[in-house]
Amino acid sequence: MSFSPNTLLRALRTSKASSRTRVSFPQPLFYRQLHASSRLDVVKPFLLADIGEGITECQLIQWFVQPGARVEQFDKLCEVQSDKASVEITSPFDGVIKKLHYEPDDMAITGKPLVDIDIQSEISGADAEKLGGVDGNEDAGAEKDQAEESVRHDEKLAEVASEVDVAYSEAMTKGSQGQARQHRPRQGREDKGSLATPAVRHLLKETHVDVADVQGTGRDGRVLKEDVHRHVSEQTQQPVAHQPSRAATRQDKNAPLTPVQTQMFKTMTRSLDIPHFLYTCAADMGAITALRKRLNASATSGEQKLTHLPFILKAVSLALQHHPLLNSSLDTKDPKKPEITYRGAHNFGVAIDAPSGLLVPVVHSVQDLSIVEIATQLRQLSDKARNSKLAPTDFSGATFTISNIGSVGGGVVAPVITAPQVAILGVGRSKLVPAFDENEELVKKEELVLSWSADHRIVDGAECARCAERVRAFLEEPGRMMVEMR
Amino acid sequence: MIVWNSACRSARLSTRPLTVRRCLSQRTLDRLTDPVQSYISTSRDPYLNLSIEHFLLQQSAPESVVLLLYVNRPSIIIGRNQNPWLEVNLALLDPSSHDQSYSEPPGLGAVDLVRRRSGGGTVFHDEGNVNWTVICPSKDFTRDQHAEMVVRALRDCGIDRARVNVRHDIVLDQGQHSLTIGSDDTHSTPYQTPEADARKPLKVSGSAYKLTRQRALHHGTCLLSSPNLNIIPHYLHSPAKPYMTARGVESVSSPVGNILLSNERFIASVQKQFGKLYRSIGDAQEVGDEWQEHDSVRKGCDELKSPEWTYLQTPQFSISNQSDTLTDVDLELSVRNGVISSGFCGTRKSGYSGAARTGLPAGLDGRRLHDISSWDDELGGSLPSVSHDRVTRLCKWLHMMLPPPIGRPNTHFR
Repeated sequence: MSFSPNTLLRALRTSKASSRTRVSFPQPLFYRQLHASSRLDVVKPFLLADIGEGITECQLIQWFVQPGARVEQFDKLCEVQSDKASVEITSPFDGVIKKLHYEPDDMAITGKPLVDIDIQSEISGADAEKLGGVDGNEDAGAEKDQAEESVRHDEKLAEVASEVDVAYSEAMTKGSQGQARQHRPRQGREDKGSLATPAVRHLLKETHVDVADVQGTGRDGRVLKEDVHRHVSEQTQQPVAHQPSRAATRQDKNAPLTPVQTQMFKTMTRSLDIPHFLYTCAADMGAITALRKRLNASATSGEQKLTHLPFILKAVSLALQHHPLLNSSLDTKDPKKPEITYRGAHNFGVAIDAPSGLLVPVVHSVQDLSIVEIATQLRQLSDKARNSKLAPTDFSGATFTISNIGSVGGGVVAPVITAPQVAILGVGRSKLVPAFDENEELVKKEELVLSWSADHRIVDGAECARCAERVRAFLEEPGRMMVEMR
Repeated sequence: MIVWNSACRSARLSTRPLTVRRCLSQRTLDRLTDPVQSYISTSRDPYLNLSIEHFLLQQSAPESVVLLLYVNRPSIIIGRNQNPWLEVNLALLDPSSHDQSYSEPPGLGAVDLVRRRSGGGTVFHDEGNVNWTVICPSKDFTRDQHAEMVVRALRDCGIDRARVNVRHDIVLDQGQHSLTIGSDDTHSTPYQTPEADARKPLKVSGSAYKLTRQRALHHGTCLLSSPNLNIIPHYLHSPAKPYMTARGVESVSSPVGNILLSNERFIASVQKQFGKLYRSIGDAQEVGDEWQEHDSVRKGCDELKSPEWTYLQTPQFSISNQSDTLTDVDLELSVRNGVISSGFCGTRKSGYSGAARTGLPAGLDGRRLHDISSWDDELGGSLPSVSHDRVTRLCKWLHMMLPPPIGRPNTHFR
């Protein structure tokens, strides 16, 4: 295992500290040693998993093991603390601890190695994802590159049922690669965990400035007193009334980002890199609506009523069989060598407006589901979202997203693509419009606007337009869907 | 530290209730395997109540759900990883050491300082505050579900201003009743106003969590009728705060208020909502001082009372008087695990040249901060180059910022 300068420095500090403290004082019971492991293929770094709530780092409180200690599955490794939760982390494997990556009081970062374990048990595929690569990856986070943030983080939306199952369910996506992780300590920490000394916080309070608004120039993005003063002088003067009367001027209110907003902020900031183009077309939903009415009228009490959304999902899936480029993923980790991966499954993220904000759970393998099955899944997901029972697995693996803003309203929308997907479909609200039929007579038509956004780095307008027109054709003549179904 | 380690190890080994006990009845032990358990404590001792809570976390059956309600005598409870010198005005804890202006009638007397095992911030407990704890399987755990349960309990008692906020705390909205129809949503009330009103919601309950592999513990306070609301800020404001740089979780302070409900009504309502949520009609079992007899509870109590746990679990911090213009002898101390690990001393008049700054006075290096009972004794002879007056002033400053802690907690009786 290679030693980075950081690791060596830490080791030197540790050994110096421990030699001094060993003599006469109570000391941390366990301290780190450096090992060179001889068999690279057996020792793996065990990553700190996401504990939910959008938390990216937590403080290490104490270790229960030391290098050389033999652990069994479910033995306690350490205790970490994040805002209000203290969490015990247990080992999913049998093995021998080789290296501890943090000292007590250090901030451990989600997704980065926590300990190195010499694994001596069988590990399943799910367990293998909890491990990092063999070398190079664990300290690779030295240069922070925003584009390198793990895909997994997209799907961990904060305000959902926080699965703090430290036995790590299959919450980690299969696609997650590498552990290089953006570490921005101040971004969206709603408990104001930004780095600032108490003196600075006092100043922030006095000047009524939110720590999240101030750009820190100190070490690790720490906010210093100068930063606060600079921020205050840059702002236009605002009246700081302590007892505003009701008739007085409206006050501005600083607010931290909610967990859902935090996640949205991170995801959409990544999407800024994508050059979007918009293509809209209007589909005549008459046939689908008539079909739905008939089916719903004859539905028994046990069956659920169908909305137009399952039909749209199935139509898009059938269209994507002909236009697989729109269901692909674009990997731009190396800007010089972008890679397209054509995804086999059609996993559609469906945007839901939940009480806590925008959530995008995923309906998996739409290509294998019937329309009724899609409808059932959608119903289940929206029930779970309403009760905040969505699990991290419900968010993972999306290859294409559909945003039905039509449930609220809208005609043409310009939806934003979520990296690493390359396209997204926004569905408006259907409305009755006047139109001409083939006899040039005025008739009523139920029109639904479909708005497609695609990544112009790999999708051109014509390809997107062809796919959009195919979907429109499916919706206007459902028989065409039927003849293409398998 | 060895003590904690073995306490942790024994907790790992015993996943089922032990069969050898001293004073807990067999019936009590059997109860630990019931799928739904409800307890209420008759003790006011914070150390005992927290230890019983911890015992229930570790010994209750993995698939069971447990409710515990307790009330503590006046005490300050800091989070697992917090810094008592930063969060608490330690000088106030000893009633004999400060002047009477801080204790309004009824005088608070001695206040315990307890470090709990769950994360989060610092809270003040007294007899007007009821603590609720729910322990459930990890896989079913969400941060909101039990806060929502308590909000439903409050609304049942007519407190319809209560709701759960985004930080999973319970707040009372202060706005006027808007005309929208009230809903069952525990996250909103008709009293919320979207504009930036001057009336921020008042926090009445804060939550903290402890998560193990199989079990999740969620506990929270509930300010019902505390008579001490206006003195609490004195206790929770440390004079040393502007001079400290610290790691660890800081408390997020919020304006608080009383709900104005009796303890009994609240307790009954929570027990009812708990029963409704988990479909159980059982009665609450009383727990109290007799649990002290139990080995594992007593060990937990002893640990919580020990100064090692209270003070040595503090994350690294340093304190420096350089920003205080009234002192003229610079002092900086770095404290790691509650032990002074490094620092320096120097006089300002001679500038910051290396010669004027000396290392730590010999007696201080490696000392446990909470063992220091008199700064005069420590520094008196160790700064020969500095005038006596200056040393006295420095010691006075240190005494204010890092006061010697009060005697052992169990010497105070209430």
